[in-house]
This record gives sequence, C-alpha cells and structure tokens, in this order.
Amino acid sequence: MSVLLDVQDLQTRFKVRQGYVYAVNGVSFRLEEGETLAVVGESGCGKSVTMLSLVRLLPPAASIESGQVLLKGADLLQLDQRQLREVRGGQIGMIFQDPMTSLNPFINIGAQMAEPLIYHRGMGKKQALARSAELLEMVGIPDGETRLREYPHQFSGGMRQRVMIAMAMACEPAVLIADEPTTALDVTIQAQIVELVKALRDRSGVAVVWITHDLSVVAGIADRVIVMYAGYVVEEASVDALFEDPRHPYTVGLLGALPSLDGDAHRLTTIGGSPPDLADQPTFCPFHPRCPYAIERCRTENPALEAVADATARGHRTACWVDIRELQSPVVSGS
Amino acid sequence: MGQYILRRIIYWIPALLLLAMVVYALAFFGAGDPIKLMFLREEGDVTYDAQRLDAIRREKGLDRPFLMQFGEYVWHLVRGDLGMSVISGRSVNDMIAATAPVSFQIGIATVILVALIGIPLGILAGLHHNQWIDNTILGSALFISGIPSYVVGPMLMVFLVLGLGVMNVPYGWDGLFSRKAILPMFVMVFGSIAIIIRQTRAGVLEVLSEDYVRTARAKGVPEIMVILRHMLRPVLTPVVTVLGQMLIGIVNGAIIVEKVFGIPGLGRLTIDFTYGVDYPVIVAITLIGAFLVMALNLAVDITYPFLDPRAGQAMTGIED
Amino acid sequence: MTTQELSATSGIELAQASRSNLWQDALARLAANRLAVIGIIPIVLLFFVALFGPTLTPYDFLAQDFTARLDSPSREHWLGTDELGRDVFSRILYGARTAVSVGLVSTAISLVVGLIMGSLAGYLGGRVDILVVWLTDVTRSMPALLLAIVINLTLKVPLEAWMEQLYLETKNTFFRQTMWVDLVLVFGALALIQWPGYARLIRGQILSIRSRNYVLAARALGMPTSRILTRYVIPNAMGPLIVAVSAGLGGAMVLESAFSFLGVGVQLPIPSWGKMISDGLRMWQTHPHLLAGPAVMMAVITVSFAWLGDGLNDALNPRQWK
Repeated sequence: MSVLLDVQDLQTRFKVRQGYVYAVNGVSFRLEEGETLAVVGESGCGKSVTMLSLVRLLPPAASIESGQVLLKGADLLQLDQRQLREVRGGQIGMIFQDPMTSLNPFINIGAQMAEPLIYHRGMGKKQALARSAELLEMVGIPDGETRLREYPHQFSGGMRQRVMIAMAMACEPAVLIADEPTTALDVTIQAQIVELVKALRDRSGVAVVWITHDLSVVAGIADRVIVMYAGYVVEEASVDALFEDPRHPYTVGLLGALPSLDGDAHRLTTIGGSPPDLADQPTFCPFHPRCPYAIERCRTENPALEAVADATARGHRTACWVDIRELQSPVVSGS
Repeated sequence: MGQYILRRIIYWIPALLLLAMVVYALAFFGAGDPIKLMFLREEGDVTYDAQRLDAIRREKGLDRPFLMQFGEYVWHLVRGDLGMSVISGRSVNDMIAATAPVSFQIGIATVILVALIGIPLGILAGLHHNQWIDNTILGSALFISGIPSYVVGPMLMVFLVLGLGVMNVPYGWDGLFSRKAILPMFVMVFGSIAIIIRQTRAGVLEVLSEDYVRTARAKGVPEIMVILRHMLRPVLTPVVTVLGQMLIGIVNGAIIVEKVFGIPGLGRLTIDFTYGVDYPVIVAITLIGAFLVMALNLAVDITYPFLDPRAGQAMTGIED
Repeated sequence: MTTQELSATSGIELAQASRSNLWQDALARLAANRLAVIGIIPIVLLFFVALFGPTLTPYDFLAQDFTARLDSPSREHWLGTDELGRDVFSRILYGARTAVSVGLVSTAISLVVGLIMGSLAGYLGGRVDILVVWLTDVTRSMPALLLAIVINLTLKVPLEAWMEQLYLETKNTFFRQTMWVDLVLVFGALALIQWPGYARLIRGQILSIRSRNYVLAARALGMPTSRILTRYVIPNAMGPLIVAVSAGLGGAMVLESAFSFLGVGVQLPIPSWGKMISDGLRMWQTHPHLLAGPAVMMAVITVSFAWLGDGLNDALNPRQWK
C-alpha cells in the first residue's frame, strides 16, 4: 500500500487577547490508501483543529504556523484558493459533528447535494439532481427525488448526517474526514451511521480519518489509531496493539474509562483533572500534572514521539519518558 | 397558511382602529372648537355669537356624541374620504393627493438607494471583520447614524453653498431627477443607511461562524457562491424585519428634510398646518403614516415564512 | 469542531471566569474600544455642563445686548450673538441642561413603564402577554415626530387653559409658568415613543432567560423565585438593558431637539439646541454662526452617544464575543 496523506510537523495556533493558544503542536501522521485511521482524545485536545488545518477550513483567529500536508505528494498548504477548492469536496470529503447546524436551513437538500457534483464533476443541474437522488438512496434515504425538494428542518438528525455523508462521498473522494460524526446523535443512530460509513468504505475503498473521543467506536472501525493530548500525538499504534498493549499513561487512562463487555466486574477508572492550558509551548510533558506515573524528568522535558522498543506490532510509537510496563503500580505523584 | 394570514390581518386591523380612535379623540377633545377656528380664520378677531355657532355646529353634525362622530369618520375613512381642512376649507384628499407623490418618490428612492449602497457595504465590512475596511465602514456608519438629519442638512448647506460655493441654494422641488433633489436625497440616505449597514454586517458576522458555511467551503463551493448562495439569504432575511422601523425613520426624516429644503410633500404639509392647528389634516397624515407602517409590518409577517423555511413550520401568533 | 469547542480551546480563561470577572471583562473590552472611550468624554462634559451650567456661562442666557446683535464670534462672545443680542455660547450651555434633563426624565419614565409592562407580559404570559405585545406594536407603528406633533397640537391648548384656571383658583404663581406644560408634553411624548422598546426588551429577556438551562436547574434545586430573579434573571438582563438605556438617552435628546426644530418642543425662554438650529436655519446665509454652533454641538453629542452605545453593545453582548 502507498501513502495517500502524509502530514508532517503541523502547527496551528489561535490568536487570543492575551497572546496565542497553541492548539496543534507538531503533529505528524500518515494515512495509507484504503486505511481507516482513528484520531482519539478528549474535547479540546486539538484533533478537530488538526483536521480543519489539513484543508485550511480554520476560523479567522487560527493560523497554520508550519508543516506540510502532502496529499498524493502535493502540499495542500501551498495550494492557491482555486486548487484548494478542487481538493475540498473533490479529493477530500468531510463530515462534521453536528448535522443539525451543518446543513444550510435556507436551501433545499437537492441544491446542497448538487453543489459538489456541479463544481467538481461539471454536471448540469438536472444531472446533478438525478445523481443526488441516487446518492440519497445509497445512504439509506428512500424516495430520494421527493426528499431532494425538502429542507433540512424536515429531516431528523440521523437523516441529516446521512445527507452529509452522501454529500461528502458524492465525488468519490480519496479521503473522507469524519469529525466526530456520531457525537450529536442517539446511541442507536450512532451505530447505524458507523455501519453506513463502513459499508461505503468497503465498497469504494476510500481512506477514512475518523475523529472521536469514543474508544468503543474505534475498535469497530479503525485499522490504526493516533491518540492526541494537548495538541500533541502521544501514541500511535495499530488498533489491536493499542487496546492490548497501550504504552502511554493517557491511553491507559482512556481505556480504563471504557466499560468492557466481557462481563468482568471491575471499577471504571477516570483520569483526574482536565487538559492543560495550551497558552504556552510547554517545556514539560503536558500530561504530567494528571499522570500517576510522572517522574522528575516529565516536569522539565517534553518527550518526543518515538518508536516503542519492544513493540509487539510494527509502527507502535509513544511519547513518554516512562516504560509503564516496568512499574507494578503507579508512583504517587509529587505534585 | 391561510389561517395564519387571517390571524395577522385580525391582529393589525384593531390596531389601526385603536390608533385612529386615539388620534381622533385627541383632536375631538383637545384641539379646540373647529367652528371657532373657522371663524377666527375667516373674520379675524370677532366676537362670535353663540347661537350662530350652535346652528352651524348642528348643521354640520358636530353636536353629536363622540362615538357617533368617530363612527362617521371611520365610515368616511373606509370609503377613502379624509374630511375637510378646517383652515383652507379644501378637501384633505385633494391636499394629500397634491403632496403625497413627492413624499412617496423621496421615500421609495431612499429605500432603493439605501439597499443598493448599504447592503454591499455591510457585507464588505462583515467579511473583513476587524480589518481597516470594516473599521472604516462601521466607524463612518456610526458617525453618520449619530448626526440628526436636521443637523446634516443645514451643515451641508453652509458648507457647500457658503463655504465652497459649488451650488445654488437648494430650495423647493423640481422632481426626483433634478439637481435640487441631490442634497435632500443625500440627507435622507445619510439618515437611514447606518441601520442597514449595521444589521447586514452583524448578520454576516453571525452567518460566517455558522457550520453550514464551513460545510459549503468543505464541499469546494467557490467563495463568491458561498457568499451569494449560502450567506446572502440568511443575512438579508432578518433585515426584512427591520423594514418597519426603517420606514418610521424615513417618515421622520422626510418631515425634517422637507422642512429644511422647502419641499412641498406630506411632511411639509404637516409642518405648515401645525401652526394653524388644522387637525383634520394632521389626523389624516398621522393615520396614513401609521397605516403605511402597519401595512408594511403585515406584509413582512405574511412573507417571512416564505423567506425563512424554518419559520414556515411554526407560524404562531406572536414572534419577537 | 463546533463553536463551543473552539471557544473552549481558544478562550480557556473565559470559561473559567467568574461572574464578577465577566463585568471586569466587559469593562476591559469597553476600555479597549477607542471610539467608545472618545465618545465618553463629550458625554461626561455634557452632564457636567448640565449640572454646573449656570455658574459656567459667561452671560445669562436671557441677557440681551442690543448693541451687539447678530455679532459674529469674537473674544467677548465666543460663538457670537443672536438677533436679540444674547450670547450663543451661554445659550448652548443652557441647552445642555434642557437636553440632559429631558433625556434623563423621559428615559426614567419610559423605563419604569417598560419594566412594568414587560415584566407583566413575560411573567403572566397568555392574554396579558398578547395584549402588551399588541399595544407595543400599535405604539411602535406611529412615526415618532407625527405622534409628537399630534400630542402637542391637541393637548397644549387645553392643558394651558387648565393651568390658567388652576392659577385663578389658587393664585399660585407656579401655574403661570406655561413652560411646565411644554415639558410635560415633551416628556409624555418621549415616554410614549420609547416605552415599547424597553417593554419588548424586558419581555424577551424574561422569556429567554427563564427557559435557559441554568435557571431550570436552579428551579429544580428548589431555589425561590425571588432568588432566581436576583441571581440570574436581573444580572443577565442587565447588559442589554444598559445598552438600551444608553441608546435611549441619546435618542431622547435627539428627539427632543427634533421636536424643538419642528416647533413642538420646549418653547422659549428655555434654550434648546433644536430650537436654536431651527432659528439659525432662517438666517443661515447671512449669519451661519447661529446655525453652526448648536448644530456642531448636537452632532458631537449624538455621535458620542452612538460610539459609546456601540462600544457598550460589544462589551456587554456576549453573543458577539466570538
């Protein structure tokens, strides 16, 4: 398999009144063809900002400070507006978190769905609408032609997310970025959406970046996972390695907060505290105030993402000074 | 839908009636005796004999109770008869027919100019939020909105006529497309444009942060189409709801501009007859003003569900 | 990424701010707004002059000097004199007093009426709500200047006659001052024009705040209504109300001078800027200083109010924080 998307040292910051908030701090990752990569982390850890940076859809206060985003070898950060427009919706399709606000309430579904087909495929309006009706049926909305004339408020949340997916897939993109697409939905609907994306992926071979804070979704859909914390990638592994052999204390904490289905009754653990203030580039491990394994070095030096020495699987990397498997139990944090 | 329209009509008709009654009652109980006023006008300072006054009053039906006279007034009003001027003795209809076209021309031209200039400026300011373009547009809009038209008009006259000497005294009216109309129109547009600029700018700022604008961009829609197709309607739809307020501003502005520049319109008629206490004229003009505003509000109420698809769902009695 | 999440990452310090900090933040935002700060200066000066005007003016506003009629601005008369030889500068300072008192009193009246009507509508709901909203719609359909003209035209004569009668009965010289009739009419007209705005604002605030989750939560915890009012509803309604009152004050002053300009405002001998502009307009070609003085003054004050109002709006309206 060849590398489709190669992100190198991406840095994005927000201008606020008192200076800058560093949201993405040197993130690097690769996405291979046909692969599904899950990006996991708490709210505010920079995963959404990372994905918006890829296609430069950031709000005005944000700016990309450095990095490369190579899509099939071309750097998206260097493209002019017209070239970028062709990538958005053409090469990279996007689905967002809240289907209630992501569709324009003033325009009917058909007109919104036709847009990518008109602008990327050069279709006429009639042709684009006919294709849109097919796409609706493809994502499980029957009676497409009638529904195209309806407005977003006439659709339920799950239906709207299906419309968003149909729109994102309309031009058969190489990459589908799904930014917490199930977070705003009911649990039963969540499962349907996950299944729908899986089915579409298997049929079209699209590579998927699935952003979520829900690890239980990750197990079902992803090939590989990257875990983000405070704008850093803190662990990267295949999905099996991550669940069976997590190496970063944060990942361990996330897994501890996950209920297991095997019937063992054990207490769910939580990670105390909350993500740190990102207002400064830290000279320490950003996780150390919450880390039960923290040692002195964590307070003075920020660990880089490096390959795990005795990994059970290839490509397992983590950013931690401590080999947590050597420790029987967490040391008492000095702070 | 039909029921909704009916409800809105039922809402506004009593409103108009109440206004008519209050204004008529003010005139009826407060304005003094119209017959006395008539005599004052005709014969100067005479001692009028009470019997003769009573006779005329009876003859004109002015001795009847308030509600009867008001009912009659409304009846005439419904048939389009606005009564007689106490001072000139002419029909109010004729007086208004002679002056209203000028005012309406000014009003409509103002709305068109304000929309054509104000909306693009508002969008431009919103798209360049906090940049110099935005600061310049918003700063001048605030500056403009701050200065009352009766200050702008005279100051411009002093400046252009006395200071620069670039034009003659603009007084009177030669039609909308004459040179004399330039300064009054300028003052009118000056007075109303700030509301539209600010409303449009605020709308753009709000819509810019909407998720659906990001979706449109994520689909690769060209920026100009993002603005025209995805942003313009959400931005302009709320502007419609301030049209009533704008009309009030335009009516107020027209009264003052017509006085400043000596334009023979409805506003001028109001001012002229203020000094003569010719209340049938004033009542008529007041009702016309209020009627226009209410009619516009009703039109906005009825068209709004078509403009905003979401509003079509919940068309209830009161919106705020 | 939703906007909430964005503000969580980009404005962490905001999320942790306590309520007192919110007010400090608002103040900081106001202080950072250059136009608003510039606008405050003339307004403070205006209130100062209105309070201490009589001790500051070089001449009495009524003092006539027939040797110096229609003089252009000079060392003796900074802004010249009018046709009766009265000092224009002194009259402008006195006019500030008229403007400020009319603004304050009419805003106070309409605010009280608006608060009562708006709270009734918001809290009682149902028919009371419909009636109040209807009444505000009726009143707001009246172009303000027409309303003022009608009121002045119809009520002034009877009121003056009534005062005259009271004077004859009581021999109290208070009732000889027809100026009070003017003031009452102007206050009345302004209050009538402005109350619906306040009423609708209060009603809207009550309706929207009442259904917010934190108020529902407080109610679920069994917090008494009075405490919910003082802790949540009033502090939250405060911001928009301050903005509205600031705009209302400026608006009332502009309207008052517009009334005077049209001849339905406060009549002589109290100086009013609108009246001075209106008088100056008759002689602007020969004696532009009569027009320029009060007109520039009026412009400075109203622009100041607009700038301050906008600054307050930005500082106090949380929706525009992003």
